[in-house]
Formats: sequence, C-alpha cells, structure tokens
Amino acid sequence: MRLEYYLRETAAGLRRNGIVAFAAMSTAFIALFLFGLALLIARQFNLVIEAWTGNVQVAVYLTDPVRDETVTRIQTNLQELPAVGSIEYWDKAETCAAFDRLFEDQEVFQEGVDCEKAIPTSLRINLADPSQFDQITAALGCEAGGTTQEIQCTEPGVRDVSDYRDLLDRLTAITRVLSIGVLSIAVIMLASAIALVANTLRMGMFARRKEIGIMRLVGATNWRIRVPFLIEGLVESLIGAVAALAALFVIKVFFIDQLRGQLQFFPLIRNSDVLAVAPWILIAAVAVAVIAGTIGMRRFLDV
Amino acid sequence: MISLQRVTKTYKNGVTALTDVNVEVEKGEFVFIVGQSGSGKSTMIRLLIREEDVTKGQIYVGGKNLAKMSSWDIPKLRRNVGTVFQDFRLLQDKTVFENVAFGLEVIGKPKNVIGQRVPEILEYVGLGDKLSNYPDELSGGEQQRVSIARACVNRPLVLLADEPTGNLDPNTSVDIMRLLDKVNRIGTTVVMATHDQAIVDAMRKRVIELDEGYVVRDQSRGVYS
Repeated sequence: MRLEYYLRETAAGLRRNGIVAFAAMSTAFIALFLFGLALLIARQFNLVIEAWTGNVQVAVYLTDPVRDETVTRIQTNLQELPAVGSIEYWDKAETCAAFDRLFEDQEVFQEGVDCEKAIPTSLRINLADPSQFDQITAALGCEAGGTTQEIQCTEPGVRDVSDYRDLLDRLTAITRVLSIGVLSIAVIMLASAIALVANTLRMGMFARRKEIGIMRLVGATNWRIRVPFLIEGLVESLIGAVAALAALFVIKVFFIDQLRGQLQFFPLIRNSDVLAVAPWILIAAVAVAVIAGTIGMRRFLDV
Repeated sequence: MISLQRVTKTYKNGVTALTDVNVEVEKGEFVFIVGQSGSGKSTMIRLLIREEDVTKGQIYVGGKNLAKMSSWDIPKLRRNVGTVFQDFRLLQDKTVFENVAFGLEVIGKPKNVIGQRVPEILEYVGLGDKLSNYPDELSGGEQQRVSIARACVNRPLVLLADEPTGNLDPNTSVDIMRLLDKVNRIGTTVVMATHDQAIVDAMRKRVIELDEGYVVRDQSRGVYS
C-alpha cells in the first residue's frame, strides 16, 4: 500500500516535468560517465605502470637459477642502504602470475612462452630518497651513470638493474593530469546534475503545493511528503548512472577492444575493470540524489 | 481542550497580531471568534495548528504544550485538529471520495479503514450520493461539506473553521452552520473564526471578540457585537 503510493507519486512526478526531468537525467548521465571515465583512465594507466615498472622505482633482476642465499644476501645488503625504502622479492610464481594477469588477453605472450624460463625473478625496490639511486649501483658494483634502463652489474647473481624512476614519475604524472582533468570536469558536471535534479524536485513541489498544503493540514509527516520527491530524484540520477555504465562499456568495446592484441607489453582494461567502477558510479548517483533532495527541499523542510 | 495563556504573536515584519490573549475552551464547546479583518482571528487559528509559533505565552491543545512540541509531533497535533477554510482547499483532479480519502491516505491509514470511514462521513455531511463527483460539479456549499468531511474523517478532537461561510450565500451558510453544530453535538470542540454577523446572532453560542489583537469580549450565548 505504502510502496504502491510512493511508486505512483514518483511516476506521476516524472511524467509531469518530462523535459526538466530529461535535462536532469542527461546531465546526471554525462557527469557520471565522466566520473567513471576518470576512474577507468586511472585504472588503464595503473595497468601500464604495473606492466612497465611493477610499480617500483628500481628492479634488481636476478640471474637464473636463483639461489635462496643469493636473494637473502643481496636483500640484506640493500636493506642497509639509507636510500632504500622497501624491498620485495618476486619469485618465479609471483612474477608469472602477475604477467598472466596483465597480459591474459594477449595471446602472443601466452603461447610459446614458458614464463618460468623467460622471466627473471627480481627484487623490487622503492627508494626512501630517489636522488640517492647511486647507492644501489655502487653496492651492486654496477656501471656508474648512463641513461640505459638495463644497467649491468658485477655483483654475483645479479643479471641487471632497471632504473624506473623517470618512467614511473612520468607515467604517474600523466595519469594524474588526465584523470584529475577528467575528474574535475566530472565534478562540475555533477554539480550541475545536482542543481538540475534539485530543480525538478522544486518544480514538482511547486506544481503540487496545494496537495502538500493539505497533507500538512491533515497531519502527514514530513517524510510522507518528501519521500516521493526523494525517490523521483533517485530514479533520475540512477537512470543517468545506468546510461553512464552502458556508455563506458560501449567505449571499452569500440575503442579499447580494437587495440587488443595490437600493442605489445601494453595491458588494457577489461570488462571486470568497467564493472569495478559501477559501485562508485552508483554511490555518486545516490549522493547526487541525496544532496539534490536536501537542497531542493530545504525550503519545504519546515512543517 | 484549548488554553491560550498570555499569548502574544508578533510577526517577523514587526506586526503584532495578538497581544496578551487568554482564552480557555472546554471540551465539546462551540466558540465563535469574531472581529474585523486583521483583528487576529486567523492568527489564532494558525497558532492552534502550529503553523506559526507564539512569540510569548503558552498554548495548550488537548493537554499538549505547543511551544514545547517538537516538529516530529506537529503532524500528531494536526491529526487531532481538523481545519476548514473559506476557500475549501479541495483537489480539483480528485473526486469527492478521493479528496476525503486523501486525508486518511497521507497519514498512512489502511485501505479498509478508508473504504469504511469515507462513505460514512460523506453520508454524515449529506453527500452520500456525490462520492464520484468532482469538486467543480458541486455547489459552494457542497464543496464546503466535502472539506468538513475531510477535516472530520479522522475523528479529530477539535475542529477549527476559518471563515467557513465566507464564500457562501446566506442560505447555504445556514446549512453549513447546521452541519458544524451537528459535528459539535457528537463531542467535537468547534472553534470558528467569522465576521458573519447573522450567523453569530442566530447561533447564540459563546463569542470571543478580538480587536487589533486584544480580546475585548468573551461572552457565553453572545451576539456579534
């Protein structure tokens, strides 16, 4: 009975301000789409960063076959350096799992490659002080200076050392600029969506001011009066959210999927990544509706 | 049932509508509030349903202090106090039945209660055969009956009527007064603000006269002036 009442009121409300409701929904759609896009851009770049640098500034690749003593010895030596922040050892299993995960859709890497043989294990290092990278090369007896990423070293068991500081910095910077750029447009659009949803609620309340007046007179509670409008706002922003998710999948299928298999060592976002932003889009949609409700009905909040 | 103790109401714009008003209304009484336009009649009605807050003094309705009432309790107050206005306040897109049912629906009464009480009260106000008519198909008097039915369908303790005959011709007004008297006789306390002299004189009920916000007369079985 109560649910039926609310649904009826909501449907009537959406019908009544068709055009304004459409404006609110389409703005919510664009806002939530951009919001999701910003999250996906960040996700995409994080995949690339992980593939290219393993998310660390320095990787010390070890020569096969790896002996546990060698790992322990090098790890202990490096840990003593003041420049070193954290060290993590990636053995064959861990390295190959990460590789599979990043490149599972790129068949060229999966076939004919025996991961266990092809990929070296590594010590992955984040520096406490990136400017003191030389401490590591010195400790491992590597060639000093140079700009090459694969630095040869004399330390037994060490195949080479990769300096990802620059690459990581640049990729992180690009990620930040792109996703924050899109995110700030999304925030502006979200603000307009809130304003437009609030406006539809206000128009709805104005159109029904007589009914609302009577409801107050006969002792309807505030919630009884407000809930149909809140649901209306929620429906509008959720329709926008669903459309935004659909649009993100379309982008993924028509743009990202076209690149799949063409770029080497370039992992791409997958359906699961798009799905992973869905909860965030829904949360943002609910937030839009709640804020719009609070703003739109402020004038009507007092009895 | 209703008690106003040293009530003063000053609006935000500085106008003082009521000054130091003391009024006691017993359960089951019928009271006229008379006075010229702007004498404070409507303000008194608005205070009694807490559409406005008192500036000074205390108001009790059914034993509850309105000034201390939280906004959560205001709907409860209004369920116990029916209100009728000069302009009927009916919804034009709803039938007579739906207009009265609306009053119960929005306070969450179940369908079976609505289905039972609405025809009952409409029969009581003499509109038993107009359930599916729309307001614009009714005369002014009939519309006011619908609004009285809506005000009474939840069986309030008090019925407040603000100029209920203001839009009606004298004969129809008499009919409405008979109905209000009938509502009063089943135990509902009725407070009616009016400046309809003929009606007040004919009814010979208690009369409280307001003049520029002061109570200048409180007379049982009184006349208009």
